[in-house]
Amino acid sequence: MDAVIIIQMILASIGGAVLYTLIGIAPGTDETAVLAPVTIALALIGLSPYVILAFFISAIVAKKLSDSIPVAVAGIPGGVMAAPMVEHAMVLKQYGLPDVSIRKMASGSVIGTIVSIPVSFLIAYMILPVADTLAAYSGLIFTLGAVFLALLTRNKVLSLVMILPFAILIMGLRHLYWGLGIVPEGTDVFVSFFLGITIGPIAFTLFELLNKRVRQNMPRVGDKKIVMKKSKKEKGFPNPFKILTGQESLTSAIGSLLGSVTFFLTPVGMTVFWGEAITRHIKDPVQRASRAISTMDGLTNASYLSGTLIPLIAIGLPLSPMAIGPAAGLFNAPPVFTPENNIHHLLSMGEIMTATIIGASIALILTFFVTIKFSTQICAVVFKYIPHEALIGLFAGLVVMLAFMDAGVLNIFGTILVALVAGLLYRNGVNYGVMFMVLYAAPWLLGWF
Amino acid sequence: MEENSQKDKYVEIWEDNVNIKDLLMAMSLCIGFALGGYLLAFGDTPPLIFGLAGAVIGFIISSILIKPKRKLSMLKEGEE
Repeated sequence: MDAVIIIQMILASIGGAVLYTLIGIAPGTDETAVLAPVTIALALIGLSPYVILAFFISAIVAKKLSDSIPVAVAGIPGGVMAAPMVEHAMVLKQYGLPDVSIRKMASGSVIGTIVSIPVSFLIAYMILPVADTLAAYSGLIFTLGAVFLALLTRNKVLSLVMILPFAILIMGLRHLYWGLGIVPEGTDVFVSFFLGITIGPIAFTLFELLNKRVRQNMPRVGDKKIVMKKSKKEKGFPNPFKILTGQESLTSAIGSLLGSVTFFLTPVGMTVFWGEAITRHIKDPVQRASRAISTMDGLTNASYLSGTLIPLIAIGLPLSPMAIGPAAGLFNAPPVFTPENNIHHLLSMGEIMTATIIGASIALILTFFVTIKFSTQICAVVFKYIPHEALIGLFAGLVVMLAFMDAGVLNIFGTILVALVAGLLYRNGVNYGVMFMVLYAAPWLLGWF
Repeated sequence: MEENSQKDKYVEIWEDNVNIKDLLMAMSLCIGFALGGYLLAFGDTPPLIFGLAGAVIGFIISSILIKPKRKLSMLKEGEE
């Protein structure tokens, strides 16, 4: 690793932190939808894997820090992961303390990051001896993973029943493309199907709008009303350990540890479960809420980082909901990264650690500072100048282009098909994790017939 | 939602309010520029870069053309 690469990693981390601080604030942005396409695109451009990893870590840390800002300022989650915190942030808002919740959440995030990075490396180190065995049974593991995640969803029966049909849809399209000679036989179309699943729910809603009756029956709304509160000015460089009380730091750290250990489970589920379990005993509502948000923010951050890092370091296969979703580009972005040749294989443990630390520190310093100092102003800028339509358009554009790149015009429609099926399933209680697992398990699973 | 007047002409998609016509425009702009960039790529630069640049250009144009459907009100400190 020479100085040029390190400078590139620093620049990429700064870029990732700035971009995802803004995207994090925009309401409703789903982590997978906003992180995966960009990471995959960067990999396909041919950027160095060091730079991609540093960018990704910086982006995820920055996004996790900033998606709690709109929760505190306006009670709107900036992302799926921020949703469990809304309830507690609203308690603080009722007591007139929105700036307190921003600072507590951001500080919790910092602790989560600091705890989870060493813990992830430790866990990865412990898994390492069995990693080869795990990798050899990847098809089986992905299938079991799909079944396991299916049992955790809202609609267990449908999730289980759809495993085979969904695998058929994916392999059916792949074989069709091979048969028509659109892609060489044996080349698996992956990226566009992955993105198809990601945009499934929104694509399904958009296609529903084409139905006149549905369109007329949709509830009509006016401008989204957002009430913001000016926060107090903070002097000097903020110190997360001064913002949190000793107890809050401790529970954030414990939460982060638990979140890292359960890296293979769904982050949102774990955040709610551990977050509530650790804070349930506190009586005073303000204390309870501020303990809960600092703990939960630490926990989500930790489960995201560990879910990315542990499989990346130890196994090289995306064996966690995080790795299979937002971080998918680090594991599989064919032809650049494949399950047999990705960041796990290209970088040593020390190099992964360096890139992670560069990315995380830059995001922490930049975004934490900005979050504490200018949260209200940034929120106002994003809410005022970035139309939601443009964001949806941007991701639609990326998905259509990448679909075309994967397998031509026909695949734009193939991806729409995958998206519609995924959207329908999602609407009925099958979550992303199951579908992503099936996407990986499909070749092995259908090989049995 | 509470005052169901004629002003209410947006729908909620992906947890925010959008105007269907504006959404169609933003999507066509972004898809058009992204695919267009990819197809018109020249030189040794990978076409993907042109595609990404196109998507970003589409995003910027739609951000300028479309007004966000949010109504911000600021509270001074201590107000509720």
